[in-house]
Amino acid sequence: MTTSVTADFRDEDVRGFGMCIGGTARVLRPTSAEQIADAFAKVRAAGGSIALRGTGNSYGDAATNVNGHVLDCSRMNRLLDFDPHTGVAVVEPGVTIRDLWRRAIGHGFWPRVVPGTMAVSMGGAAALNIHGKNNFALGTFGECIRSFELLTPRGELLQCSREQESDLFHAAIGGFGMLGCMTKLVLETKRVHSGRLRVWGIVARDLEHNLQILEDLRGTADYLVSWLDLHGKGVALGRGLMHRADQMKPGEDPGGLCHLDPLRQDVPAKLFGLVPKGWLWPGMWGAVHMGQVPLVNWLKFKAGFKEERQSPYLQSHGAFHFLLDYVPRWHWMTRPGGLIQFQPFVPQKEGARVLRTLIEKCHQVGFVPYLGVLKRHRPDPFLMTHAVDGYSLAMDFAVPSGKSGRDKLWRHCRDMAEVVLTAGGRFYYAKDAVLEASSFARVHGDTAVAKFRELKQRVDPDRLLQTDLARRLGV
Amino acid sequence: MERRNGTCIVVGASSGIGLAVARRLAQGGRKVAMLARRERELAAQVHTANDVLGKPLAHAYVHDAGDLDAVEPLFARIEQELGPVDEVHFVAGVMPPVAIDEFDLAKDRQQVQVNMLGCMAWANAAAQRFLARKSGCFVGVSSVAQDRGRVGKPGYHASKAGMDTFLESLRNRLWRHGVQVTTIRPGFVETPMTQGLQLKGAISADRAAELILKARDRRKTVAYVPFKWRLIMFVIRNIPSFLFRRLSI
Repeated sequence: MTTSVTADFRDEDVRGFGMCIGGTARVLRPTSAEQIADAFAKVRAAGGSIALRGTGNSYGDAATNVNGHVLDCSRMNRLLDFDPHTGVAVVEPGVTIRDLWRRAIGHGFWPRVVPGTMAVSMGGAAALNIHGKNNFALGTFGECIRSFELLTPRGELLQCSREQESDLFHAAIGGFGMLGCMTKLVLETKRVHSGRLRVWGIVARDLEHNLQILEDLRGTADYLVSWLDLHGKGVALGRGLMHRADQMKPGEDPGGLCHLDPLRQDVPAKLFGLVPKGWLWPGMWGAVHMGQVPLVNWLKFKAGFKEERQSPYLQSHGAFHFLLDYVPRWHWMTRPGGLIQFQPFVPQKEGARVLRTLIEKCHQVGFVPYLGVLKRHRPDPFLMTHAVDGYSLAMDFAVPSGKSGRDKLWRHCRDMAEVVLTAGGRFYYAKDAVLEASSFARVHGDTAVAKFRELKQRVDPDRLLQTDLARRLGV
Repeated sequence: MERRNGTCIVVGASSGIGLAVARRLAQGGRKVAMLARRERELAAQVHTANDVLGKPLAHAYVHDAGDLDAVEPLFARIEQELGPVDEVHFVAGVMPPVAIDEFDLAKDRQQVQVNMLGCMAWANAAAQRFLARKSGCFVGVSSVAQDRGRVGKPGYHASKAGMDTFLESLRNRLWRHGVQVTTIRPGFVETPMTQGLQLKGAISADRAAELILKARDRRKTVAYVPFKWRLIMFVIRNIPSFLFRRLSI
């Protein structure tokens, strides 16, 4: 380690969003591509490793590098251009989904793919190839990227698109930051014909009903997502509340014109207009730590019947999409242990059997997720894709604070992962925290893994770019 | 509330409060002439509004509010193309950054040209027509900045105060003929003009537009937007000068 390297970086505790993975790393927050290139050169000369990090919203270890270096790109956050006629945006990697939609909505555009929180960065969204509630219809975040500049660990600045450096384009998107830093991205947004969506709440009595609704509606709906009460057993196993949202057509919602104001889209900051939502997490902490999650879920499920009766209703894009931003710091409710999310992607034919097996296993072991979210997916063209023609079920587990409890949870998740992999399922690195190196090729196939390693060797022969995730998977 | 169904003109309609006012007027089914300097931005906003509404109610007219000679012919052109105008909203405004030790006549001139003279040109053009028809409504968006000369932006404060006083005179001339003149004094509103100013408690441009149209419907003479600024500015107006000049507000 040279003096100049340590002078630029500062020691910080760098963790995943789940708070249970991570540790001390030397962090630099660059504001330009030149600074990144300079950091690459210095750390490579010193024989160290660098992890690329956006806004730190990956649940696990996709953007941590314990005892290594971390380039936190969140200050490279200029929205360089937005074309008000085409909706094409040119952004730096630290621009967040929030920055993008706030600019886009005023012109009648909305990002084509958004996750459940608006806090994620463009660089992170591309590197993990995130998806939204419309994955079955419009695909992943990568599919709305036209091109990007990739700064490789050797300091080359490569223009990547579907036509130019196509292999790198398709590998770096979803390549979890292993091939270089995207310093500028050009991406498409989509035209919306109102500031609001038409939303339906649909009660699903069990898992099979949920899957049936997804199959019935995926040809017509624009967005589909189901909240699952995973504490339901027997005939109620996998029960939940499906939300369908459709975009308006031109002239269908004239009253939605004034909702194109960005402040009309933000999720409300106060409960009942009085209580700041930032104060709610201690109450949720109580529910998690005092065994009241089944009660809360039951109440939410029952409330779904009322919502179903009142459907359809109109809701702003922001309020529909960004459920995770409704309660700031909600993840603190899992302190001190933190949380992990286990999100298997299961082929459609195996969906009902595998997902039922996983939920039953949770009940048997005694680790029942406090939150379950079911979505429909479609394959995408990216090398390290997590997508399948099927379903994903995101399951949030509060991590026990003791080592034995934590080990038991990890064993449980690995046990579930084996069921998923045997059925031809996949995993998503923005969420994963448990897969082992032996699973890497099973997720992606030998050919894809060999090609990915070949590209890594080409652009990063010194293996400068590493994360805890990459080491865990033996990339 | 007076029912209007003629054409509306919104000057400064490509972003911020002007855009929000134009959208709400069009949303209510009115034909709106949207005027702004930036052609590309304006065309996009007009397209977006008509796309959402499903009918061509918004119309783009490229116009620099500082170009005073262009006002009269443009007003006539709009009436010829869209029909008689019975409502004009002047929302154009500029507020260039001014350092605390900067005394730049060019910036002052620009603010007076757009904020004050621009408003006077449109108000005069509207007043002649409204007076002849014994009806019409002119809404001028001034600012709470007009209430006191503060240290930050002398040119902005002066231009808004000039505009505000002009509108008061106009109101006093025209009210007896059935013509309404409403002055709006917005407080903190989140718009491109105020971007980066870290205005605590700022309301959205759309909320400001909602309150402006409510003030119009209630035939208010002067409306603070939102109302709390009437109280805040009452206090600020009554701070004695020997204290006020020591403050950095």
